[in-house]
Amino acid sequence: MALIPGELFAEKTLYINREKLRRYAEASGDHNPIHLDENFAKSVGLPNVIAHGMFTMALAGEAIRFWVGDEWQIVDFSTRFTKPVVVPADEEVGITFSGKISEVSEKDILIELGATSAGVKVLGQTKALLIF
Amino acid sequence: MASHGPELVGRRFSSHHTHSVSQSSLSAFAEAIGSSSHQIPPTFLITFSIAAAEEFLPSLGFDWSRVVHGEQRFQHFRQITAGDALRVTSEIESYKSLAGNEFVTVRSDFEDISTTEKISSTWSTLVFRGAE
Repeated sequence: MALIPGELFAEKTLYINREKLRRYAEASGDHNPIHLDENFAKSVGLPNVIAHGMFTMALAGEAIRFWVGDEWQIVDFSTRFTKPVVVPADEEVGITFSGKISEVSEKDILIELGATSAGVKVLGQTKALLIF
Repeated sequence: MASHGPELVGRRFSSHHTHSVSQSSLSAFAEAIGSSSHQIPPTFLITFSIAAAEEFLPSLGFDWSRVVHGEQRFQHFRQITAGDALRVTSEIESYKSLAGNEFVTVRSDFEDISTTEKISSTWSTLVFRGAE
């Protein structure tokens, strides 16, 4: 695709479930029970188990890779975690990423992303600077 | 909960242990986020950043059981590779108290222990929720 400012990428939906949260917890070392234990999550006022914000950000990185390929490298990557991604038991929960190229220079491109789950905006002000 | 003030800004913390990047930890992380790329996931260093904050902030009276991830940024100067041994130095870059919640931004700088080359900086804004 042409890397020109304003270019929109096709939306990409990635799916997570309880088992994937367990594996992310294992690989990242973040064992906070709000991501693993439904009773605990509800006891602290959450609607259900929620995904690690950093898991959602990692998937945003994967969406970028899907859009631009392996030749580009993310050198600056930032986001706000606006709302949690809720993950009920026995459900595949989709997170839908949208993205557009907002700036292009000779050596890098800036991508702005959006992320929603169950119609709720879960990331805000997400930006990635990539070099070739 | 302990209350803090802007005097926290500039407080620094150096972890005594070396963070060794092993091929198995990189592979486990990539697999957990469903990545098949040859590149290191751009969020991989979160494991070390959060571990540093978790060691540092409770020693200043922050209650880790009330933490929520507010914002995150990564800046990479070079890609990490398996076999890297990294030293991390963290500093409180900003602090504010708002409606009973405390917002702390911790910057962590990663350098290669053998060359002292700067590898990455990460910024984690952690929100410590006040008692309800």
